[in-house]
This record gives sequence, structure tokens and C-alpha cells, in this order.
Amino acid sequence: MDIEAIVTNLPLYFEGLVTTVQLVILSLALGLVLAVPVGLLASSRSLAVNFLPKVYIYFFRGTPLIVQMYIIYFGAGQFEPLRESLFWPIFKEAYSCALIAFALNTAAYTSEILRGAIIATPFGEIEAARASGMSKWLVMRRVVLPSSFRRALPAYANEVIFMLHGSALAGVITIIDLFGAARIVNSRHFVPFESFITAGVFYLILTFAIIWVFKRVEFRWHAHLRQRSS
Amino acid sequence: MPEQVSDAPYALEVDNIHKSFGSVEVLKGISLAADDHDVISILGSSGSGKSTFLRCINLLETPTSGSVRVKGELIEMKQLRNGQIVPSDRKQVDRIRSRLAMVFQQFNLWSHMTVMENVCEAPVHVLKIPKKEVQEHAESVLHRVGLFDRKDYYPAHLSGGQQQRAAIARALAMNPDLMLFDEPTSALDPELVGEVLRVMRGLAEDGTTMLVVTHEMGFAREVSNRVMFLHQGRVEEDGVPAEVFNNPKSERFKDFLSGNLK
Repeated sequence: MDIEAIVTNLPLYFEGLVTTVQLVILSLALGLVLAVPVGLLASSRSLAVNFLPKVYIYFFRGTPLIVQMYIIYFGAGQFEPLRESLFWPIFKEAYSCALIAFALNTAAYTSEILRGAIIATPFGEIEAARASGMSKWLVMRRVVLPSSFRRALPAYANEVIFMLHGSALAGVITIIDLFGAARIVNSRHFVPFESFITAGVFYLILTFAIIWVFKRVEFRWHAHLRQRSS
Repeated sequence: MPEQVSDAPYALEVDNIHKSFGSVEVLKGISLAADDHDVISILGSSGSGKSTFLRCINLLETPTSGSVRVKGELIEMKQLRNGQIVPSDRKQVDRIRSRLAMVFQQFNLWSHMTVMENVCEAPVHVLKIPKKEVQEHAESVLHRVGLFDRKDYYPAHLSGGQQQRAAIARALAMNPDLMLFDEPTSALDPELVGEVLRVMRGLAEDGTTMLVVTHEMGFAREVSNRVMFLHQGRVEEDGVPAEVFNNPKSERFKDFLSGNLK
């Protein structure tokens, strides 16, 4: 075991850790903002409304994340008009390309989680809301969405963990995230076991933090599902 | 039908409601006029259309034809090009619904909200009454249904009878012109029916205008001042309880009573 190679490169790992955390949090935040309207539209019974959201969800669930990332990072540059447009600085950078791919990908999965939770809203609760004079939008905002978010929580915790692990792909396109750092350490010292197990330990710790956060949120949000404590 | 003594409009006036689901005509022309403080029991065996009738009043079901007036205000309807009848103005429907509180067979409390939150929800967000004012009113309403000590409970932590009383409190908090009860005790265990009926009896005594679809003959006979019996989408019997129960005119209602009062 070459512990020294790891210890001397710990600053690099921490740099990777910051990048990973930042990238994942940004992707999840953007993804969630996108997923709420997409999930709502996809849950509509009208084909005119749900068609495009469903095509979007199907595309991003139907192709591997690495393919999506490659299309955005390598594929986009092939188009001259894009290279000359003001968007080029975004598509030129590996970081922003990874962020776009991750956000669109997690948004698709999250939309689908939300859609499922929305259509599972007890109909009686919706009817009671309508009967009290709430407009369609108010029913959504006050009854359907709050109860759907609660139902979606365990599945969403899974999605957050998947996103964390999926973010390791960023290391493949030159980004120094945790996995990117491990690759660099490996190529400098040729210690594949040590370098990658160290990245693995960081991912484990991050996953533990995610589980802990969701446990806390579930405790608050699922008070209505718990057995009442005396 | 009660006589209209003044020029004041009926609390509720329903005229010749028809409702079809596909080719099945569930309501075949039902009319009703309720004065303030009326308590009207609507009886009928299952499939008679009594729940559908109640749901047509606040437009949870859209009548195929016929009209509904609340305090004289007609709910405007229009016909789409495909022949479907829909409300002309969703906002009017929402406003009228906020004055017609409904209590459901399955309670339909919002499961992620506490009892207090359930009660305050619509007054705050539909009627836009300041939260503090609503909370004070909610507390008095919860006292009235005997649930004040359960105000911070979630619906799942209450018995059926308590849930239904919470649902009644939620309806009362709107200060409605009229309360619609859709078989409020039918989903309850027999020993829990009494507590809900007691609350409803109290409301009736306080002068609340109520339309109650029910199977509770005792309630219909003792509490309501008018009874309607529906059979196959038509009104078969209509009158004051003493008269209707002691001298039923329709054979159907006699059969219904003998089946119910054995």
C-alpha cells in the first residue's frame, strides 16, 4: 500500500471533493427547478400538454448519461453557428457542459418521480379542495404538490445518490472532481487501488451525508405518516 | 315545498336537474328550493342518484341540464361546440363553492395537514381572511365539534368519527350559506355514528342550512324539517318528516321504509 502517494495528494482530493459537491448541488437545484413544471405537465391527462414533457423524459431516461454528456461537450462544438454564438463560452467549458447534462438528466428522472407522486394524490383530497372553492392552480399549490413532494421524498433521495455517483463521469471530460482527482493520482504514481479506493471513501461519506439529510427531512415531512408517539 | 314568505331569494334553488353518465340517465329532472335554516334530508337506496344530485349543486358533477341558484345568484352555464355543458365562469363557480361547504363520506381531510391546518386552509387561501382572525375562529369551531384538544393531530391519528368532525369543522370555518353532507356517517363504525350525528344535530338547532344525503332514518325523522326520497333519478316523495314517514304516498318509499325500519 502506498499511503504516502495518497497523503501527499490529499489537497487534490479535497479540490475534487469541492468540485463534486458543487457540481452535484448545482445540478440537483437546476434539475429540481426544471422537474416541477415538467412533472406537472407530464401528469396532465391531455396529450397536447403531456406530449413534449414525456418525449423529454423518455430521451433522457432512454440514453446513458455519458452519451448525453458527450453529445453536449464534444458534439455541440461541431456546429459552426453555435461556435460563433454567444452560447459558445458555455459549450466550450467542460464544467458547464457536465452541469447541463447532469441537470437535464436528473430533471428527467425527478419529473418522472414527481409525476408518479402527483397522479397518486388521493382524489378525495383534490375534490375537497375544489369543493372549498380553490382554483385549479391553488389546489395544485396547496394540496397536490405538498402531498406529492412528501410521497416523492424516498424516491428522490435515491435520485440524489444516483446523481452523486453519476457525477463521477465529469472526471472523464477533464474536470477534476473526486474521480478526476483519483485518475490524476493514479497516473502520477500508478497506484490504482489506493487512488480509487480513496475516491470511493469520499463518495461513501457524501452518500452518508445525503442519507442523513433525507432522514431529517423525512422526519419533519412525514409526521403525518408516523405512528403517533404518546 | 316551503312557501317563500318574503322577497328574499331562496338559500338554494335547484331547477330541473338532469344528469347522464354516457347513455345512463342518473337524474331525471330534480328540483328543490331551500330556505335559510332548512334542514333537508335526501333519502334513497344506492344508485338512486342522491349523491350525484348533491354533487351537481356545487358542480363537482356538471349537470347535463337544469339550473342552480345560490341566494338568488344563477350559476352561469354555457354549451361548448361539441354539445357539452360547462360553467361559463370558473371564478363564479369557485366563489359559490366557497359558500357551499361540503362534508364527504370519506372525510377527505388533507392528510399532510394537521386538524388546525385543515380547518384554516380554505378561509386563509380562498376567502383571504387574515390568518390570526381565522385561527381564533378555527378554535371556536373546533370547540364546537369537540376536537379542540386534537387540533395538532394529523388525520391519520384520529378515529373515523373524529376525522368526520374535523371535516365538519373545516366546512364550518368557511361560514357557509349552506352545508352539503354526502352520507357523512356511512363510512363510520356504528359506535362512531352517534358523535357525528350529535354535532350535526347541534348545527341544525343553531339554524344552519343543511342538505343531508343520509341513510340515518332517525336523523331524517327527528332533525330535518323536510325529507326528499329519490328513486331512479326522480323525486318519489317530498314533504315534512312527520307526514312523509307516517303517510308515505309512494309505494317505493313504503318498500324503502319497510326495508330500513325492520
